[in-house]
Amino acid sequence: MSHQRYPSMDPVKEPHSVSLKVLRYSFIESLSRQDDFPAIEAVPGAATHSSRTLGTTVNHKLCSRRPGSRVARLPVTAGTNPDPFLLTPILNLPPSFGSAYVGETFSCTLCANQDIPPEPPAPAQPPAKVQSQKKSIRDVKIEAEMKTPGSASVQKLLLGPHGEDGTPAATQETGVADAAGAGGVDLEPGQTLQKIVNFGLKEEGNHVLAVTVSYYEATETSGRTRTFRKLYQFVCKGSLIVRTKVGPPPYNTATTRKGFKQAEDENKPKKRRWIMEAQLENCSEDAMQLERVVLNLETGLRYRDANWIVSESTRPVLHPGEVEQVCFVVEEDGKGTVLEDSEGRVVFGVLGIGWRTEMGNRGFLSTGKLGARNTR
Amino acid sequence: MFGWLATRPRSSTKGPLDADEAPLKSPVVAQVAQAARGLSPQFRGSRSNSPFRSSSPFRAGSPFRASSPFPRSPARSSTPSGIVPVGERDFSHLLRPEIFHQLSPLSIPPPFRNTSKQPTPETPISELLAHGQFRAAAITSVQALTSSPVSATIAAAHPPVDPSDYARVFSLLYIRLACLCLIDSVPLAAQEAKALEDLNQAYYLDPITGAHLMPWELRLLAIRLQTMGFGDPRRAIMSYYEMAREAHLQIAKAAKAHDHSELELWKRRLAELGIRVAGALIEMEDLAGAAAHMATLRDQAQDGKLATAKALLWLHLGDVDAACRCVRDGKGGDVGEKVVLALVDMANGQFEDGLKKWTELKAELEESGIQDEMVGVNLAVCLLYLGRMQEGRQILEGLVDDGQSSRTLLFNLSTMYELCTDRAKALKVRLADRVSNLEPTSHGWEKTNADFKL
Repeated sequence: MSHQRYPSMDPVKEPHSVSLKVLRYSFIESLSRQDDFPAIEAVPGAATHSSRTLGTTVNHKLCSRRPGSRVARLPVTAGTNPDPFLLTPILNLPPSFGSAYVGETFSCTLCANQDIPPEPPAPAQPPAKVQSQKKSIRDVKIEAEMKTPGSASVQKLLLGPHGEDGTPAATQETGVADAAGAGGVDLEPGQTLQKIVNFGLKEEGNHVLAVTVSYYEATETSGRTRTFRKLYQFVCKGSLIVRTKVGPPPYNTATTRKGFKQAEDENKPKKRRWIMEAQLENCSEDAMQLERVVLNLETGLRYRDANWIVSESTRPVLHPGEVEQVCFVVEEDGKGTVLEDSEGRVVFGVLGIGWRTEMGNRGFLSTGKLGARNTR
Repeated sequence: MFGWLATRPRSSTKGPLDADEAPLKSPVVAQVAQAARGLSPQFRGSRSNSPFRSSSPFRAGSPFRASSPFPRSPARSSTPSGIVPVGERDFSHLLRPEIFHQLSPLSIPPPFRNTSKQPTPETPISELLAHGQFRAAAITSVQALTSSPVSATIAAAHPPVDPSDYARVFSLLYIRLACLCLIDSVPLAAQEAKALEDLNQAYYLDPITGAHLMPWELRLLAIRLQTMGFGDPRRAIMSYYEMAREAHLQIAKAAKAHDHSELELWKRRLAELGIRVAGALIEMEDLAGAAAHMATLRDQAQDGKLATAKALLWLHLGDVDAACRCVRDGKGGDVGEKVVLALVDMANGQFEDGLKKWTELKAELEESGIQDEMVGVNLAVCLLYLGRMQEGRQILEGLVDDGQSSRTLLFNLSTMYELCTDRAKALKVRLADRVSNLEPTSHGWEKTNADFKL
């Protein structure tokens, strides 16, 4: 995520008393990797050789997947390290921004810090004078907006942390109370106002997160309100390509397979039925596991899933570039009128695809309205 | 993209039906022939149908039989005549100074460089290792290997190795490679490990017993490093299967001789090889393959470690439900289950629940007198995700005060410093100073600039 300071709206040329820092919340490469080195205390020059003379003593742990990956070296005390397995449960904070994908939620934290440089020790100055120059920082506020590629205007973001019911909770910073949520807080030296951004990514392309920090800088004799703004730009990439195809069922005879009772309906008017197939291609750079693929149908239609749940197989894992084909049988339920557009096209509804990537990170996409030509 | 191909030795075109290669005049000429002769007929057969059968070759007594019709290395049935006796073999080609890289002290933060805790050049390697002086041990081992001590006193402390003393050569090489890895110089280690060439060449085998001359640990490490050095991830898997065959042979032998400790040793090694294959598959980014392979492994130790490992893999893959299933009903052991369930909460974005679990687990372990660094680090990460960074920072600083200094801990704390202020560098330098004052232990003491994000 590249960032730049917005051309200053602040007429004061002094450095700001508050700094803003941003970290993306991401669990990519979060489980540390390790190697173990048994027997490293082998004494060189051991007189007789046998692989067993190198007694195992202490396990030294290391992670070495690729340059830059982080390393865990765990004590084995609580037995929480599954060595010699590569992955360990200790969590790394993200080493870099990584990639952002459509369908996922972009999360980051914004930290506004009281960052006045500490007074250099100046014994020559009388203490009273130092006192008078001391600034206090009050009413610190963070606001954030997102500019998405598709819209001309910006979208104001609701900032967390949120309580269980979704209402803004008081920040838990030591001594900092964010009383009304919208109101600002006073910051002592070294204190931080921390906020959380959650934003559902729906479009490919350039996104800009604009963060505005405002605060009141007070000295004993005067005070002023100061504001600065920082822009953070990142690119959102496509995650999944969905191709759909709707066709007639391969046979029109009544079936007695599970889920259908067509045979007993011989006297009733024949229900129309379609086969809907979809190919889901992972176009991201990470493996994903499909969690659920569902149809949200218009009234008068019902469907039967013909995928991994029915076959009782495990959820499909799609490595980058891989394709999973899913299939549904859609039919009239006989209870309502099926919606048709002006060209006689039957409108089905939308296909929703939910997936998860590393450490359970969720993604969800839904297609536009799908439909089939009237086959009546 | 294909740059690395040039560095990979050419594979021999020999097949499994070929007789053993002729005695090697010079091991430098010996080429890696693994690709051609690596896989057993059984393994290849299973590959074409289903790569991971329900019966895994990583279980003792499985159909991965020692009585293969084509016995490959290292248990060669016949020894070609004219091979050099073990005691006379010259390993000086592994001692050439150009193999080894210079280690720059510039990657070490100044507080570690300028302290009385730095060892003297005469400190014996065993002492260096016991105090976690891995960089110094890596340098000293090369001085002994290449006979290039700087002074006479150092030469006396680390006598140059005799090229025919293979036990000491391999021991020093193991220390060199392992220490490079421990000081985060894995890419250098991967380059240096290439000099070992084909690990299964006859020159590394005892012609009488068929035993491998290298310590088991060096072989495991060298396989991993060569896999990286040659940029061929499949190499590791083939090599682990080779070693699994050897383990099967040894298990059969030990069972016949009623050597219980030997039997347990090789069973443990076999089980570990199975887990290493899973790790190699993960490094190949074949997560589905790794999961399928892990499902074939049986928990022989019954300590919940394997169950926890399986759960971590599922979490890595994103399948939270499968991770829970792995550790449920006590399968992952008491602590293992709690760890996985707390991670699951975090994976589901339920950080309040995760925080509760980590806090409880921390208190529980501390009651039994255990301070688990992982639990503390994850608790702090959870707090950061809840918008309570200051508390998380205090926990991490507390861990450092208690003498913990894993790279994850230092990296996470340095990241929090970066979030706290524009002047994070001063905080990081102070942290480096504090860590440099910790007493050196065998877990390692010296850190690099990258550890503190400096």
